[in-house]
Amino acid sequence: MDCEESLPLLSEYHAGALDESTREGVREHLGCCPPCDGVYRDVETIIVSASSLREEESISFPDETAVWQRIQFS
Amino acid sequence: MSAAETNEAATETKSKVSDFELAQGSAAGDREAFEQLYHRHFRRVYALCLRMTTNPSTAEDLTQEVFIHLFNKIGSFRGDSAFTTWLHRMTVNHVLMYFRKSSTRSELLTKEGETPVQIVRGTENQDKMPIVDRIALEKAISELPPGYRSVFILHDVEGYEHEEIGRMLGCSTGTSKSQLHKARLKLRDLIRRQAAQN
Repeated sequence: MDCEESLPLLSEYHAGALDESTREGVREHLGCCPPCDGVYRDVETIIVSASSLREEESISFPDETAVWQRIQFS
Repeated sequence: MSAAETNEAATETKSKVSDFELAQGSAAGDREAFEQLYHRHFRRVYALCLRMTTNPSTAEDLTQEVFIHLFNKIGSFRGDSAFTTWLHRMTVNHVLMYFRKSSTRSELLTKEGETPVQIVRGTENQDKMPIVDRIALEKAISELPPGYRSVFILHDVEGYEHEEIGRMLGCSTGTSKSQLHKARLKLRDLIRRQAAQN
């Protein structure tokens, strides 16, 4: 498998959604291609970082009471 | 019992009332029950609207609309799923509806080739991507084309499966997977560019 074939498969590879022979092909390619392996590591980082966005601590919320009052008058 | 204790007891009693009971009360016309539901779920709904739109003002307007819609539909909640799941789905659908109606977001899906993803794979730059802090990631997400952003938020942030995303966006599971992968590569590109500018 070369770069052109493996790059579109990296998300599916990460999800474990590829069949065994394709998965093995991607794995082998990543093992011998540092640039593609770098892309894969970056994709992994993005996936892990994205899950942290569900935390609400850093969000600046609007005035809950003011929004409630607007709802009541709607 | 002191006034403080009485208040505390009342609060405790209120918190024990389930969302389902409050929904039933709201459907029967109990506005106080609906207000309790609102205060329980306001932050969750606003946060979701904000993640999907990346615009605080739009998120606030949509939050308001979601609760008005909830008020009108509360009688249809049968308790088959958790109330939070039901409201979450309602909120997602409402934001997607907003995207459909909005002239600036006429496409729910990003057309193939609309935003070609340039993959930096040169051997001259094998360093790991800079650590992605929350601000950098949020900024990059806000720069994604709307179609990519919807799929990325729904899958990687909210945890929906591709099958469900396909149903919500009216596309195939394969399209959802393809858009997600392109969104991740586009984000990678945007984050690297941000880092290069700093």
